[in-house]
Amino acid sequence: MRHTSRIALVPLLLWLVAGQAQAHAMLDHAEPRVGNKVASPPREVTLWFTQKLESAFSTVTVTNAAGERVDSGKPRVSGNRMSVSLRPGGSGTYHVTWRVLSVDTHTTDGSFTFQVGQ
Amino acid sequence: MNCFGAEIDGPMAVIRAIHFAATAMTAGALIFRAAVAEPALRAAKQPATAIDVQIRRVAWIGLAVTLVSGALWLMLQSASMSGETCREALTSGAIITVLNETQFGLVSEIRLALSVVLAICLAHDRAAWSRWLSLGAGLCLVAGLAWSGHAGSTTGDLGTLHLTADALHLCAAAAWVGGLVPLALLLASGRSDRGAARAQLEHDAVRRFSLLGIASVATLIASGGINAWILVGSFRGLIMTGYGWLLLSKLCVFVVMVAFATVNRFHLTPQLALAPQSAARGTSFEQLKRNTIIEIVLGVAIYGIVGVLGMQHPPVHLM
Repeated sequence: MRHTSRIALVPLLLWLVAGQAQAHAMLDHAEPRVGNKVASPPREVTLWFTQKLESAFSTVTVTNAAGERVDSGKPRVSGNRMSVSLRPGGSGTYHVTWRVLSVDTHTTDGSFTFQVGQ
Repeated sequence: MNCFGAEIDGPMAVIRAIHFAATAMTAGALIFRAAVAEPALRAAKQPATAIDVQIRRVAWIGLAVTLVSGALWLMLQSASMSGETCREALTSGAIITVLNETQFGLVSEIRLALSVVLAICLAHDRAAWSRWLSLGAGLCLVAGLAWSGHAGSTTGDLGTLHLTADALHLCAAAAWVGGLVPLALLLASGRSDRGAARAQLEHDAVRRFSLLGIASVATLIASGGINAWILVGSFRGLIMTGYGWLLLSKLCVFVVMVAFATVNRFHLTPQLALAPQSAARGTSFEQLKRNTIIEIVLGVAIYGIVGVLGMQHPPVHLM
């Protein structure tokens, strides 16, 4: 009986330790929209997440086509929204990289791009 | 540590589980005193001293473990939030930033204040107001955990519903699982006393605890259903994610606990009304004590799962 119980535990233990890494898509949407094209350089980038954020440990950086940072630094966080002001950076592909801490203490990060120009 | 496909911070999961269980034990002991022990002792016209001392001891031990594990959780959480080691988080000021600028820190501070109030009440426990205040502080201490978890970050009106459901869930779990420890002590304390008054006290206490258990199970099912609807969102989310599998594991242990509680309520408890010297009563009493211990072990397993569950991304954000 005892051996049977132990054998029955083996699949459970394998099931506990095995598995594949999960992707965590915490960004809900952004403005400018992810992957989209805008005519002129935006004054700010705003990101909306699926949960409320902690401003003390949430950051976002934006670089222009030349790889120069064009964000003003400290983002503004309100609820599940994070915004950062931008300096004019010309046209081309802009990279947005974010790292946020949600109120339930989960840290997630990610990045996306958008296009500026005709 | 890898659990259901997700990387889990092992020490954090263990500390979280210990903290949740200790908080439940503290609040559960005080709920047990107010809803089970005191009314049963009054009805049986028995002196409260010995049982009361045991319940207070459970509450004190629970509170001490809550404080130590809470401090460790804060330290580990600060390191996790800042991306530093624990030592660096202590020296760099990250822990102060967490305390002053995050919801987790604010909740930790409020719960620390509640712990101090609870300790003062437990130290001056003779007055009725002190007992009611300690019960209130204990309930707030356990309910406050809702603001440090997934429920605390849900946005909009849904967030209010989520927080309410989660706070009720935590309190109901504390009433049931936390109350099992003083129940086991009460059942074990009268080993040598086979008198009619003692038998009546045991029967009444078990009956009252069963009623408390039924209310707790109903609350757990309703609030757990709301939590699952908000955090899992779909059947696919339940079976395709680590969070879902952990939730199903928790549900399985919960069902086994309910099965034991049902046997206790409908089969064993009526037997305690038999004559104190009867063999049937003695057998049922021993079985009840054994089942109570088994339920405590299963309750600890549930808190172990909760320790990991709170660190996983909810399926509703992944699907």
